[in-house]
Amino acid sequence: MNSKRLWILIVGELSRLNKYGVFSISILVAFIWGVVLFLISDSVLGTFLPFVLFIDATMMSVMYIGAEMHFEKTESTISTMLVTPVSNAEMVLSKVLGNTIHNLISSLLIVAAFYIAGQLDFINELGFSLILVILGIVLSTATFTILGLVLSYYHKDFTDLLVSMFVIIFVLMIPAVLLMFGVIKGDFWETFMLVNPMQAVLEVIQGGFYNAAGELDLDYRYFLSLGYILVGGIVLYFFWAIPKFQDYAVRQSGV
Amino acid sequence: MFKVEDLRYKYPKNPSDVINGISFEIAKGEIFGFLGPSGAGKSTTQKIMIKILEDFRGTISYNGKDIREYGDDFYEDIGVSFEMPIHFSKMTAMENIEFFLKLYKRNADVEKLMRRVGLWEHKDMMVGEFSKGMKIRLNIVRALLNEPHMLFLDEPTNGLDPTNAQILKDMIREFREAGGTVFITSHIMADIDQLCDRVAFIVEGEIKEVDSPRNLKIKYGKRTMTLEYKENGETVREEFPMDGIGQNETFLNLLQTKEIETLHSGETTLEDIFIRVTGVQLRDEQ
Repeated sequence: MNSKRLWILIVGELSRLNKYGVFSISILVAFIWGVVLFLISDSVLGTFLPFVLFIDATMMSVMYIGAEMHFEKTESTISTMLVTPVSNAEMVLSKVLGNTIHNLISSLLIVAAFYIAGQLDFINELGFSLILVILGIVLSTATFTILGLVLSYYHKDFTDLLVSMFVIIFVLMIPAVLLMFGVIKGDFWETFMLVNPMQAVLEVIQGGFYNAAGELDLDYRYFLSLGYILVGGIVLYFFWAIPKFQDYAVRQSGV
Repeated sequence: MFKVEDLRYKYPKNPSDVINGISFEIAKGEIFGFLGPSGAGKSTTQKIMIKILEDFRGTISYNGKDIREYGDDFYEDIGVSFEMPIHFSKMTAMENIEFFLKLYKRNADVEKLMRRVGLWEHKDMMVGEFSKGMKIRLNIVRALLNEPHMLFLDEPTNGLDPTNAQILKDMIREFREAGGTVFITSHIMADIDQLCDRVAFIVEGEIKEVDSPRNLKIKYGKRTMTLEYKENGETVREEFPMDGIGQNETFLNLLQTKEIETLHSGETTLEDIFIRVTGVQLRDEQ
């Protein structure tokens, strides 16, 4: 892995996300979420802000990387990347890191808006550990970006990808949301649901926020989820995203 | 420079090989044309040679070393121009070029290249606003960015007007004169004829002919001279064998006594050879 080349690729990814309007869309989405969060009552704010970050880190990550891969497909740029000294691993990693940085910026914009609003007493101040929030967003976004990459290998266009993504995300998200809002309760379900990656992301992001007592509530579920996302992302990256990239790229070059 | 020996390749979903044991060599400083009808195996062969397709059988060596042993540094040495446009359309020409340029150790003089293909004045234009011809010209600049020693060109003049096609052909010749080697596929036989030192015809994954355009024309042409002359206000056409033409009294007599309209050797065209070797009409291909 050539770090200088990787950096060039990441800057290129971020530049294209900007040029192709993906960055503007994510800022707009962040702004809309911000407005929604300002309008909801303070009593649910503590639950809703992690939920917004959770949506950003999962569903939006898949969508943004899917859109980027779609642009590359339509412009055949992957063909010319294949004949540069850039390795497949560098290409895949730059996409994962580029999308993660991009998503982190939009998520942090929401967090910053609420931090400032809390400091100025416009809303109830939300306590959180910035380091843990960033860790949660980065790990979750990276893993779901890898998932989005893998999904885009198997879909011929963006619409196809969106349909699959909505099916997968909603099937996984509904139980997590039901648990989050207390529709499903109990220790058994709270532990069992950790096999659901969406639930694991929710645990990790919620773990960065203080509870009602003003403390971080980092129990075994948090660490289990953290490990699950980390290992899941690594497995997906090394055993799926990288090995299948060459086949995908060759197909894009007209074979 | 490139040596292909008994190359065979089968796509995973195909029941049989699409490349059936082809062998050829490309010498350093040579412009080598690779011709054949659609589906004959041209693109597959090129994709194997540029290491996009793996899992081939046989051997391909570049500068004496098996291409399987090369890492990604192989691409520091070669340039590839694809037939289709391959640029980020919402970035300017220069932004595209600068992005790719940074990926290589060796960098060409971009301004010189862009000026040569007439794109320097349009360097700040979005590639999405370029015409097809401009995109093709930008492809060539992209292929030459790393000052390659070996150039792969897929239909390089397709979509270019005659003036720009001529500029491009001049650039290819200059590249060769500077010591570069070129592998070129094209349907435009006039370009192949003008540019290539040798050509190979591939049909159904097998090479049917490899030789210089001149030798192929001699081989497939008729060894005759055809003379058209005026007699009693009408055009008369006569054909003479090439062998011993200098001693053929009838022929010499006609030259001396008649008003000659045309005089042609039986040399054929590369297009005719393509049709005879491949059994496919070129217009069906285009």
